[in-house]
Parts: sequence; C-alpha cells; structure tokens
Amino acid sequence: MEGTTVPQSVVRPDHSSDAGSAGAAVSLRGVSKWYLGRNDHTHALSQVDLDVSAGEFVSVIGPSGCGKSTLLRVVGGLVPYETGSVDVAGTTPAAARRTKQLGFTPQTPALLPWRTVRRNVRFLSELNARRAAREPLSEKDSVALLETVGLGEFIDSFPNQLSGGMQQRVALVRSFVLGAPVMLMDEPFSALDEITRNEMRYLLLDLWARTQKTVIFVTHSIPEAVILADRVLVMAPRPGRVVSIEPIDLPRPRVASMEDDPQYLEHVRSVRAALHAVSVR
Amino acid sequence: MSVSVSISDHETGAEQVPSPPRQPLRRLAVMIAPVVGLVLVFGLWELYVRAAGVRPLTLPPPSRVLRHVIEEPGFYWEHAVITIEEATLGFWLGFAAAVAVATFMALSRFVERATLPTIVLLQSTPVAVLAPVFLIWFGFNIWPKALVAAVFCYVPFVTNAFTGLRSIDENAFELMRSVSSSRREIFWKLRLPHCLPYLFSSARLCLGLALVGAVIGEMFAGSTGGLGNTARVAQTRLLVDQLWGSIFVLALIGVVANLVLAAVESRMLRWHSSQTTRR
Repeated sequence: MEGTTVPQSVVRPDHSSDAGSAGAAVSLRGVSKWYLGRNDHTHALSQVDLDVSAGEFVSVIGPSGCGKSTLLRVVGGLVPYETGSVDVAGTTPAAARRTKQLGFTPQTPALLPWRTVRRNVRFLSELNARRAAREPLSEKDSVALLETVGLGEFIDSFPNQLSGGMQQRVALVRSFVLGAPVMLMDEPFSALDEITRNEMRYLLLDLWARTQKTVIFVTHSIPEAVILADRVLVMAPRPGRVVSIEPIDLPRPRVASMEDDPQYLEHVRSVRAALHAVSVR
Repeated sequence: MSVSVSISDHETGAEQVPSPPRQPLRRLAVMIAPVVGLVLVFGLWELYVRAAGVRPLTLPPPSRVLRHVIEEPGFYWEHAVITIEEATLGFWLGFAAAVAVATFMALSRFVERATLPTIVLLQSTPVAVLAPVFLIWFGFNIWPKALVAAVFCYVPFVTNAFTGLRSIDENAFELMRSVSSSRREIFWKLRLPHCLPYLFSSARLCLGLALVGAVIGEMFAGSTGGLGNTARVAQTRLLVDQLWGSIFVLALIGVVANLVLAAVESRMLRWHSSQTTRR
C-alpha cells in the first residue's frame, strides 16, 4: 500500500508476548485423518508432524486432494482427526476454537451483505464474546486498520458496493481485528485476478508484520507461497502427507522487487521441483 | 456506481473527466411509463365499449364504474375495511406459521423431511374448498375468511423462508463455526437476515393471495360484508356497477398494499442487490 502510516495503537504491543513465547504455537504429532465414505475411504492426512513457532508464517502448498485444507481444519478444530495429537496455542484445537484463539480466513470474503464494512470487520468479535480469551481490536483500531488497507472511504459502504479485491481486504482486516494469535488462511486470494492478488500478498505481509501473528496459509500458487512464508510445506495426495519443507531465507520485510531476486527464483524452482516430483509419481 | 480506490484506479492524469450525459427526456419517459400502460388499457377499454356499443350489463365503461365508486364512498369504504382486516389477519397468520415451521425445518433434517410432503399436499390441493370447512368450525365471523387467506399465504411463505434460512453462505457459516458461534447466533446473525429478501419476495406474492383468500372466504364461507360479498350480491341482483366497483376497489387495495411493501422493502434491504439502481 502506498506508504500509509498506521497509528501506534494498531501495532499492538500487548500481543507481543505471542511472538516472544518460546516453543511452538501450533504443533502436530503423527496426525492421521480419514474421510469414510460408503464405498471408498480417503486417507486425507497420514502421520503429519509439524511445528509452527509463534510469529512464524508457514505456507502450505500441494496438488488438489493432498489434504492441505483438511490440515488447516484439523488445526482449526473444524474437523475431527483419528490419531495423533494437535496442540494450538497451548491447548487442543477445540478449546482454542471455543476461546476464539483462531482467526480463520475462508476462500471467499464471506462478508455479510447486510452489514457495512465497519460492522463486517467487527463481526467475529461480536460472536461468542463471553468466552473470548483475548480482547478484539477496538472500534478505533479496526477503523485505523481499514484505513491502512485503503478502505478509509468505504467504511460505511455495503459489500455490494465494493470490488472483489476490496471485499477480500475487508475479510483480511476482519480476521486481524479478532485478535487471535493463530491465523488460518484457506486460499484467501484464489478468487482474485493476478494483479489484485499480487497486491494482496504485500498487504497481508504488512498486516502480519504489524501484528506478529502465527499464520498457516494454504495456497495453490508457488510464487505466493514463497514470497509470503518463512517455510513452505509441500504436501502430496493419496495419502495426504508432508513431503518436504522448504525454508525461505529471504530477508524481511519482503518487497515486490524481491520477485526478481535469484535467491527468490531459486526457492520457487525448488518448490516447483518438489511439487513436480509429487505429481509425476 | 463508481467505486475506486487510489491503488486500483486507472486515472488518466491530464485527460479531462467528461461530464455525465444528461438525459432528462429518457428519465421522464421511464418515470411515466407505468402510467402510460394503465391509461392505454383503460382508454382502449372505454373506447371499445363506446364504439362497439357494448351493453353495460356485459361490460360497463371504466369511467362509469369510477363515477359510481366516487358517488358511494361510504359504502365501499365500509366493505373495504372488512376485506382488508380479513386479508391482513390472514397474511400475518400465514407468515407467522410459515416462519415458525421453516425455522424448525432449517434446524432439523428430520423436521424438514417430515414437513415437505405436507407442504406439497397443501400446494396441490385447491385450498379454496376449505372455506366451507372453516365456516363449520368457526361460524359467521372473521376467522373462516382470515384462515382461507392464511392457507393461501402459507405455502409461498414457508417455501421461501425455508430456502432463505437454509441457503446461507457456507464460508460465512464455517467462519462463524471457527469462533464457536452458538446455533442461536448463527440463526439470528446469519440465517434470519439472509432470509429477509426471500421473505419480501414472497410477501409481494402473498399480498395478492391474501386478498384472493379473503374474497373467496367471503364468497364461500358465509358473509354479510366485504368486497367479495358485495360482488357476489351484485352478481345475483345484476347490479353491474356494484360488481365492477367492488373489483376496482379490490384492485386499488392490492396496488396500494404493494406500494407500501415496496417502500418498506427498499428501506430494509438497502444492502441487497435487488435494491441497487439499474444502470
């Protein structure tokens, strides 16, 4: 975004402990998950081990049916799993979900059309409010965040007055307003055109850098996975499993000019090779 | 609607912004078009009756019917109030029953599957024949007519309300689940608002149906008042002016009710795509 400044209140010092705490924010040990059908069973996840440290940004990439969405939903406590153990923010996924410690971003913006932008970003904060372990961002900070992403003029607009990219920006702000330490993003930019999508990556990085959340980001796009993440998880289907983990040692903050960087291109090539090895098998 | 933000704006810098085209004539034409349609129909009717010398008993000219109604305002007002009361009571009874049933259907597969056949049954039955039954049950009062109207309204309301409550955005639903939103919150904050446009579109249909139900009730469930009754009496006594007068007043009630509904709808559904101005 064109050099917008954010009020200090948005850079939330009270959440810095999330990033600072030692150990993993998300930890999976030998997690397996089956989808049982009448005639066929799908081994959606097989023996998945993963540690994501607090404040880390992990991208998950893989062909369709490799279980990356399932992985996200297991961590989010949205689907049950059969074996293994999952630890999210120091507790079980179900408990983390109950206490609103998980910020989920779906594939579509999923804004409520009858709510203005201002009320849409507050939506998740209003729900199940009594059990929330953390305070959501205040109304003032929410508005400041909307201004950061260039939606200052549209705070009282309804979603049908916004373009697709603007709606997705509202959805991003909504997930950050919740104040949850762990963010789960399920291909949030997949419905956007390439140009908008590229802008959104840096916008997300900006928001992430300000808030220091732990992010698990599922995507189909190799460049997206690489430019965003500290590590890229490559998954393979049948059974769904993690085949390789690519650490991305590009410096932060990431900027668009890095996309011409040989180091970046090398990472892209490497992730592509890992994916290729999976799909020709 | 021109939405743009600096980042996605394709401003062309020096080029001058053209002023929007002014089309006062076209806007006027669009505004008066409905009136033109009505004037045309009634004008042709009047012309045909006069030119072909049609007997008033067969078809009176609209001017004569209008004059008759204007000469007897008290008479028509009295009976219109009766019909409006019956139709209104029936409309809201049908609405309330439908929303209650649709809510249980949306929350439980079992209730949904158990209820659907009864709706199909009701839909396939010419419910007007229930009017004499309601008369036997309730006697000579407002209830048989209101109930016929309610039964007429029930089916469109319940099918639309159910669709509206059920066809929510799956992603929004999952989003709410991701923060352990309660069923109550999901109902009040997602299902019900999502249902509103469906309720309004069925309400439009049901306004007419409630009037039909009330009039049928007056004709077949024993009545001494209401515009259905005045029309039936007029038919047996060959009071052609009164017959057509009743029809005209009923039509007027329907039109006014629709306009009121449209006004309420445009206020309550400002956010809905059906309310954005066409370009």
